[in-house]
Amino acid sequence: MNAAEELKKALPDAVTKIGMQCNKPEATVKKEDLLDAAAKAQELGFDQLSVITGVDYEDRVEVIYNLFSYENKHNLVLKVILDHDNPEVDSLTTLWKGADWLERETYDLVGIKFTGHPNLTRILLPEGWNGHPLRKDYDMETEQFVTIGEDGDDVVSTDGSNLLRRK
Amino acid sequence: MEKGGFRVDSVTIDTTKIKPVRKTPETAIEKLEDTGLISTLLAAREREGSILFSTIDQVFNWARLSSLWPVTSGLACCAIEMMGVAMAHHDIARFGMEIFRASPRQADLMFVAGTVTKRMAPRVKQLYEMMPDPKWVISVGSCANTGGPYHDSYSVLKGVDNIIPVDVYIPGCPPRPEAWLYGIIQLREKIKNEGYGATWGLDK
Repeated sequence: MNAAEELKKALPDAVTKIGMQCNKPEATVKKEDLLDAAAKAQELGFDQLSVITGVDYEDRVEVIYNLFSYENKHNLVLKVILDHDNPEVDSLTTLWKGADWLERETYDLVGIKFTGHPNLTRILLPEGWNGHPLRKDYDMETEQFVTIGEDGDDVVSTDGSNLLRRK
Repeated sequence: MEKGGFRVDSVTIDTTKIKPVRKTPETAIEKLEDTGLISTLLAAREREGSILFSTIDQVFNWARLSSLWPVTSGLACCAIEMMGVAMAHHDIARFGMEIFRASPRQADLMFVAGTVTKRMAPRVKQLYEMMPDPKWVISVGSCANTGGPYHDSYSVLKGVDNIIPVDVYIPGCPPRPEAWLYGIIQLREKIKNEGYGATWGLDK
Protein backbone atom coordinates (compact mmCIF):
# COMPACT_ATOMS: atom_id res chain seq x y z
CA MET A 1 0.00 0.00 0.00
CA ASN A 2 1.54 3.22 -1.10
CA ALA A 3 1.27 6.58 0.63
CA ALA A 4 -1.65 7.85 -1.44
CA GLU A 5 -3.68 4.76 -0.61
CA GLU A 6 -2.84 5.15 3.08
CA LEU A 7 -4.00 8.76 2.91
CA LYS A 8 -7.21 7.69 1.17
CA LYS A 9 -7.79 5.08 3.86
CA ALA A 10 -7.22 7.59 6.66
CA LEU A 11 -9.27 10.42 5.12
CA PRO A 12 -11.77 8.91 2.69
CA ASP A 13 -13.83 12.09 2.39
CA ALA A 14 -10.98 14.50 1.78
CA VAL A 15 -9.17 12.53 -0.90
CA THR A 16 -11.19 12.48 -4.10
CA LYS A 17 -8.83 10.62 -6.40
CA ILE A 18 -5.61 8.67 -6.14
CA GLY A 19 -3.20 7.59 -8.82
CA MET A 20 0.39 7.81 -9.93
CA GLN A 21 2.21 10.79 -11.31
CA CYS A 22 5.75 10.30 -12.66
CA ASN A 23 6.04 7.09 -10.61
CA LYS A 24 5.05 8.96 -7.48
CA PRO A 25 1.81 8.23 -5.60
CA GLU A 26 -0.57 11.09 -6.10
CA ALA A 27 -3.63 12.13 -4.15
CA THR A 28 -6.10 14.77 -5.25
CA VAL A 29 -7.50 16.53 -2.21
CA LYS A 30 -10.50 18.77 -1.72
CA LYS A 31 -9.25 22.28 -1.16
CA GLU A 32 -11.18 22.67 2.11
CA ASP A 33 -9.47 19.59 3.54
CA LEU A 34 -5.94 20.36 2.39
CA LEU A 35 -4.67 21.25 5.85
CA ASP A 36 -6.03 18.01 7.35
CA ALA A 37 -4.62 15.90 4.54
CA ALA A 38 -1.24 17.61 4.74
CA ALA A 39 -1.14 17.13 8.52
CA LYS A 40 -1.98 13.45 8.02
CA ALA A 41 0.77 13.17 5.42
CA GLN A 42 3.18 14.69 7.88
CA GLU A 43 2.11 12.09 10.43
CA LEU A 44 2.84 9.40 7.84
CA GLY A 45 6.45 10.58 7.84
CA PHE A 46 6.59 13.10 5.00
CA ASP A 47 8.81 15.61 6.72
CA GLN A 48 9.89 17.66 3.72
CA LEU A 49 7.87 19.83 1.38
CA SER A 50 10.09 19.92 -1.70
CA VAL A 51 8.24 21.97 -4.26
CA ILE A 52 4.99 23.83 -4.69
CA THR A 53 3.83 24.19 -8.27
CA GLY A 54 0.94 26.18 -9.64
CA VAL A 55 -0.55 25.29 -13.02
CA ASP A 56 -2.94 27.53 -14.94
CA TYR A 57 -5.39 25.52 -17.05
CA GLU A 58 -8.27 26.87 -19.08
CA ASP A 59 -10.97 26.02 -16.58
CA ARG A 60 -9.09 25.52 -13.34
CA VAL A 61 -5.91 26.22 -11.44
CA GLU A 62 -4.03 23.38 -9.82
CA VAL A 63 -1.56 23.53 -6.97
CA ILE A 64 0.75 20.56 -6.66
CA TYR A 65 2.70 19.80 -3.50
CA ASN A 66 5.66 17.41 -3.71
CA LEU A 67 6.35 15.77 -0.37
CA PHE A 68 9.30 13.60 0.56
CA SER A 69 10.03 11.40 3.50
CA TYR A 70 13.65 11.30 4.56
CA GLU A 71 13.04 8.31 6.80
CA ASN A 72 11.32 6.03 4.29
CA LYS A 73 12.67 7.66 1.10
CA HIS A 74 9.13 7.92 -0.25
CA ASN A 75 7.44 10.54 -2.35
CA LEU A 76 3.89 11.79 -2.25
CA VAL A 77 2.19 14.26 -4.54
CA LEU A 78 -0.75 16.22 -3.21
CA LYS A 79 -2.92 18.10 -5.65
CA VAL A 80 -5.72 20.61 -5.14
CA ILE A 81 -7.98 21.98 -7.84
CA LEU A 82 -8.98 25.63 -7.47
CA ASP A 83 -11.34 28.06 -9.10
CA HIS A 84 -9.78 29.69 -12.15
CA ASP A 85 -10.85 33.26 -11.48
CA ASN A 86 -10.27 33.35 -7.73
CA PRO A 87 -7.66 30.72 -6.79
CA GLU A 88 -7.38 30.57 -3.04
CA VAL A 89 -6.15 27.81 -0.76
CA ASP A 90 -4.95 27.38 2.81
CA SER A 91 -1.31 28.03 3.53
CA LEU A 92 0.87 25.16 4.72
CA THR A 93 3.33 27.37 6.59
CA THR A 94 1.98 26.09 9.91
CA LEU A 95 3.07 22.55 8.99
CA TRP A 96 6.26 23.16 7.02
CA LYS A 97 8.26 26.36 7.57
CA GLY A 98 9.75 25.97 4.10
CA ALA A 99 6.37 26.53 2.53
CA ASP A 100 6.79 30.25 3.17
CA TRP A 101 8.96 31.16 0.21
CA LEU A 102 7.52 28.44 -2.03
CA GLU A 103 4.06 29.87 -1.56
CA ARG A 104 5.32 33.39 -2.11
CA GLU A 105 6.85 32.28 -5.40
CA THR A 106 3.64 30.58 -6.48
CA TYR A 107 1.72 33.70 -5.54
CA ASP A 108 4.17 35.89 -7.43
CA LEU A 109 4.17 34.00 -10.71
CA VAL A 110 0.81 32.24 -10.85
CA GLY A 111 -1.27 34.48 -8.60
CA ILE A 112 -2.61 31.92 -6.15
CA LYS A 113 -3.61 33.38 -2.80
CA PHE A 114 -2.60 31.37 0.26
CA THR A 115 -4.83 32.29 3.15
CA GLY A 116 -3.08 32.31 6.50
CA HIS A 117 0.34 33.03 5.03
CA PRO A 118 2.31 35.36 7.34
CA ASN A 119 3.83 37.51 4.59
CA LEU A 120 2.26 36.95 1.21
CA THR A 121 4.23 39.40 -0.92
CA ARG A 122 6.06 39.02 -4.22
CA ILE A 123 9.43 37.33 -3.96
CA LEU A 124 11.01 37.50 -7.44
CA LEU A 125 9.31 40.40 -9.15
CA PRO A 126 9.24 43.83 -7.50
CA GLU A 127 6.16 45.07 -5.70
CA GLY A 128 3.85 46.91 -8.02
CA TRP A 129 4.33 44.59 -10.97
CA ASN A 130 1.13 44.30 -12.94
CA GLY A 131 -0.11 40.75 -13.41
CA HIS A 132 1.19 37.28 -12.69
CA PRO A 133 3.44 36.26 -15.59
CA LEU A 134 2.91 32.50 -15.70
CA ARG A 135 -0.83 32.86 -16.14
CA LYS A 136 -2.14 32.40 -19.65
CA ASP A 137 -4.01 35.72 -19.57
CA TYR A 138 -0.86 37.71 -18.73
CA ASP A 139 -0.48 40.79 -20.91
CA MET A 140 2.76 40.31 -22.85
CA GLU A 141 2.20 43.37 -25.04
CA THR A 142 2.81 46.12 -22.49
CA GLU A 143 6.40 46.05 -21.39
CA GLN A 144 7.08 46.93 -17.77
CA PHE A 145 10.30 48.52 -16.59
CA VAL A 146 11.90 48.79 -13.19
CA THR A 147 13.71 51.86 -11.95
CA ILE A 148 15.18 52.68 -8.57
CA GLY A 149 13.20 55.18 -6.58
CA GLU A 150 14.60 57.89 -4.36
CA ASP A 151 14.50 55.71 -1.26
CA GLY A 152 16.15 52.79 -3.04
CA ASP A 153 13.01 50.80 -3.68
CA ASP A 154 12.08 49.33 -7.02
CA VAL A 155 9.54 51.36 -8.94
CA VAL A 156 7.61 49.60 -11.70
CA SER A 157 6.27 51.55 -14.63
CA THR A 158 5.50 51.08 -18.29
CA ASP A 159 7.48 54.24 -19.02
CA GLY A 160 11.12 53.33 -19.56
CA SER A 161 12.35 56.80 -20.43
CA ASN A 162 14.51 57.00 -17.30
CA LEU A 163 16.15 53.71 -18.11
CA LEU A 164 16.37 53.40 -21.88
CA ARG A 165 18.87 55.26 -23.99
CA ARG A 166 17.61 58.09 -26.10
CA LYS A 167 18.04 57.06 -29.71
CA MET B 1 30.16 74.71 -74.08
CA GLU B 2 32.30 73.66 -77.01
CA LYS B 3 35.75 72.70 -76.00
CA GLY B 4 38.36 70.85 -77.95
CA GLY B 5 35.89 69.63 -80.56
CA PHE B 6 33.42 67.81 -78.27
CA ARG B 7 30.77 69.02 -75.98
CA VAL B 8 31.08 69.01 -72.20
CA ASP B 9 27.78 69.51 -70.46
CA SER B 10 28.12 70.06 -66.77
CA VAL B 11 24.55 68.89 -66.16
CA THR B 12 24.32 65.69 -68.18
CA ILE B 13 27.85 64.51 -67.57
CA ASP B 14 28.01 60.92 -66.30
CA THR B 15 29.82 61.10 -63.03
CA THR B 16 29.83 57.34 -62.55
CA LYS B 17 32.45 56.96 -65.25
CA ILE B 18 34.83 59.30 -63.52
CA LYS B 19 36.95 57.43 -61.06
CA PRO B 20 39.09 59.37 -58.65
CA VAL B 21 42.58 58.00 -58.87
CA ARG B 22 44.39 57.78 -55.57
CA LYS B 23 48.05 58.24 -56.17
CA THR B 24 50.18 55.70 -54.42
CA PRO B 25 53.01 57.52 -52.66
CA GLU B 26 56.35 56.85 -54.26
CA THR B 27 58.81 59.56 -53.39
CA ALA B 28 59.86 60.32 -49.86
CA ILE B 29 57.97 63.60 -49.68
CA GLU B 30 54.78 61.90 -50.92
CA LYS B 31 55.10 59.20 -48.32
CA LEU B 32 55.55 61.84 -45.68
CA GLU B 33 52.42 63.60 -46.88
CA ASP B 34 50.51 60.32 -46.80
CA THR B 35 51.15 59.90 -43.10
CA GLY B 36 49.28 63.12 -42.44
CA LEU B 37 52.18 64.47 -40.44
CA ILE B 38 52.56 67.57 -42.57
CA SER B 39 48.89 68.45 -42.31
CA THR B 40 49.17 67.88 -38.57
CA LEU B 41 52.13 70.20 -38.36
CA LEU B 42 50.34 72.82 -40.44
CA ALA B 43 47.27 72.54 -38.27
CA ALA B 44 49.45 72.75 -35.20
CA ARG B 45 51.08 75.92 -36.49
CA GLU B 46 47.67 77.49 -36.88
CA ARG B 47 46.56 76.46 -33.43
CA GLU B 48 49.52 76.87 -31.19
CA GLY B 49 50.27 74.02 -28.88
CA SER B 50 47.87 71.41 -30.19
CA ILE B 51 50.75 69.42 -31.68
CA LEU B 52 51.43 68.21 -28.18
CA PHE B 53 47.95 66.83 -27.75
CA SER B 54 47.74 65.29 -31.18
CA THR B 55 50.77 63.15 -30.61
CA ILE B 56 50.06 62.44 -27.00
CA ASP B 57 46.83 60.75 -28.12
CA GLN B 58 48.87 57.75 -29.08
CA VAL B 59 50.52 57.68 -25.71
CA PHE B 60 47.18 57.96 -23.99
CA ASN B 61 45.62 55.28 -26.17
CA TRP B 62 48.56 52.98 -25.56
CA ALA B 63 48.31 53.56 -21.83
CA ARG B 64 44.56 53.02 -21.82
CA LEU B 65 44.56 49.83 -23.83
CA SER B 66 47.45 48.40 -21.88
CA SER B 67 45.78 48.71 -18.51
CA LEU B 68 42.08 48.11 -19.00
CA TRP B 69 40.77 47.40 -15.55
CA PRO B 70 37.37 45.68 -15.62
CA VAL B 71 34.81 46.15 -12.91
CA THR B 72 33.93 43.04 -10.94
CA SER B 73 30.41 42.41 -12.07
CA GLY B 74 28.83 39.27 -13.36
CA LEU B 75 25.16 38.68 -13.94
CA ALA B 76 24.85 35.01 -14.90
CA CYS B 77 26.75 32.01 -16.23
CA CYS B 78 28.92 34.14 -18.56
CA ALA B 79 30.60 35.40 -15.40
CA ILE B 80 31.91 31.86 -14.85
CA GLU B 81 33.67 32.12 -18.20
CA MET B 82 34.91 35.54 -17.10
CA MET B 83 36.59 33.82 -14.17
CA GLY B 84 38.06 31.34 -16.63
CA VAL B 85 39.44 34.17 -18.73
CA ALA B 86 40.98 35.76 -15.68
CA MET B 87 42.58 32.58 -14.40
CA ALA B 88 46.01 31.28 -15.29
CA HIS B 89 45.19 29.25 -18.37
CA HIS B 90 43.74 32.06 -20.49
CA ASP B 91 45.26 34.79 -18.36
CA ILE B 92 44.14 38.26 -19.39
CA ALA B 93 47.04 39.57 -17.32
CA ARG B 94 48.84 39.43 -20.66
CA PHE B 95 46.76 42.47 -21.60
CA GLY B 96 47.21 44.17 -18.26
CA MET B 97 43.59 43.42 -17.40
CA GLU B 98 43.94 41.08 -14.49
CA ILE B 99 42.94 43.61 -11.86
CA PHE B 100 39.19 43.29 -11.51
CA ARG B 101 38.29 46.34 -9.48
CA ALA B 102 35.66 45.96 -6.83
CA SER B 103 34.69 49.61 -7.26
CA PRO B 104 33.38 51.08 -10.51
CA ARG B 105 35.22 54.31 -9.65
CA GLN B 106 38.52 52.63 -10.45
CA ALA B 107 37.43 50.70 -13.52
CA ASP B 108 37.68 51.49 -17.23
CA LEU B 109 35.80 48.55 -18.64
CA MET B 110 32.61 46.75 -17.86
CA PHE B 111 31.85 43.22 -19.00
CA VAL B 112 28.10 42.84 -19.11
CA ALA B 113 28.37 39.12 -18.57
CA GLY B 114 24.97 37.50 -18.46
CA THR B 115 21.24 38.01 -18.53
CA VAL B 116 20.16 41.58 -17.84
CA THR B 117 16.82 41.23 -16.12
CA LYS B 118 14.41 44.12 -15.83
CA ARG B 119 15.12 44.31 -12.13
CA MET B 120 18.89 44.32 -12.62
CA ALA B 121 18.85 46.82 -15.49
CA PRO B 122 18.79 50.02 -13.39
CA ARG B 123 21.64 48.63 -11.29
CA VAL B 124 23.71 47.89 -14.40
CA LYS B 125 23.04 51.37 -15.69
CA GLN B 126 23.99 52.88 -12.34
CA LEU B 127 27.19 50.87 -12.30
CA TYR B 128 28.04 52.16 -15.76
CA GLU B 129 27.30 55.74 -14.81
CA MET B 130 29.51 55.47 -11.73
CA MET B 131 32.53 54.59 -13.85
CA PRO B 132 34.79 57.55 -14.73
CA ASP B 133 35.45 58.47 -18.35
CA PRO B 134 36.95 57.11 -20.54
CA LYS B 135 35.00 53.88 -20.20
CA TRP B 136 34.18 50.99 -22.43
CA VAL B 137 31.59 48.23 -22.36
CA ILE B 138 31.85 44.71 -23.73
CA SER B 139 28.55 42.90 -23.99
CA VAL B 140 29.15 39.20 -23.54
CA GLY B 141 26.86 36.38 -24.55
CA SER B 142 23.54 36.08 -26.30
CA CYS B 143 21.55 37.32 -23.32
CA ALA B 144 23.37 40.60 -22.97
CA ASN B 145 23.51 41.11 -26.74
CA THR B 146 19.87 40.55 -27.66
CA GLY B 147 18.08 38.87 -24.81
CA GLY B 148 19.04 35.47 -26.24
CA PRO B 149 16.81 32.58 -25.20
CA TYR B 150 14.86 34.97 -22.98
CA HIS B 151 13.99 37.36 -25.80
CA ASP B 152 10.27 36.65 -25.43
CA SER B 153 10.37 36.83 -21.66
CA TYR B 154 8.49 39.30 -19.53
CA SER B 155 11.41 40.00 -17.24
CA VAL B 156 14.52 40.22 -19.43
CA LEU B 157 15.84 43.25 -21.26
CA LYS B 158 16.18 42.73 -25.01
CA GLY B 159 19.84 43.63 -25.22
CA VAL B 160 21.90 45.70 -22.84
CA ASP B 161 22.49 48.29 -25.58
CA ASN B 162 18.98 49.47 -24.82
CA ILE B 163 20.30 51.10 -21.67
CA ILE B 164 24.05 51.67 -22.09
CA PRO B 165 26.31 52.09 -25.15
CA VAL B 166 28.26 48.97 -26.06
CA ASP B 167 31.64 48.91 -27.82
CA VAL B 168 32.15 45.23 -28.56
CA TYR B 169 29.64 42.39 -28.70
CA ILE B 170 30.89 38.86 -28.10
CA PRO B 171 28.43 36.17 -29.29
CA GLY B 172 28.14 32.80 -27.64
CA CYS B 173 26.17 31.06 -24.95
CA PRO B 174 28.40 31.46 -23.06
CA PRO B 175 31.37 32.48 -25.22
CA ARG B 176 34.49 30.42 -24.79
CA PRO B 177 37.49 32.20 -23.27
CA GLU B 178 39.08 32.33 -26.74
CA ALA B 179 36.10 34.37 -27.91
CA TRP B 180 36.59 36.69 -24.94
CA LEU B 181 40.21 37.18 -25.86
CA TYR B 182 39.23 37.96 -29.45
CA GLY B 183 36.69 40.50 -28.22
CA ILE B 184 39.26 42.08 -25.93
CA ILE B 185 41.70 42.37 -28.86
CA GLN B 186 38.96 44.03 -30.93
CA LEU B 187 38.40 46.55 -28.15
CA ARG B 188 42.13 47.25 -27.99
CA GLU B 189 42.12 47.91 -31.72
CA LYS B 190 39.23 50.28 -31.23
CA ILE B 191 40.95 52.17 -28.43
CA LYS B 192 44.11 52.38 -30.51
CA ASN B 193 42.20 54.25 -33.21
CA GLU B 194 40.56 56.80 -30.93
CA GLY B 195 41.40 60.49 -30.70
CA TYR B 196 42.54 63.21 -33.09
CA GLY B 197 45.86 61.57 -33.78
CA ALA B 198 44.16 58.61 -35.38
CA THR B 199 41.90 60.74 -37.56
CA TRP B 200 44.96 62.62 -38.79
CA GLY B 201 46.70 59.42 -39.74
CA LEU B 202 49.16 59.40 -36.89
CA ASP B 203 48.39 55.87 -35.84
CA LYS B 204 50.25 54.38 -38.82
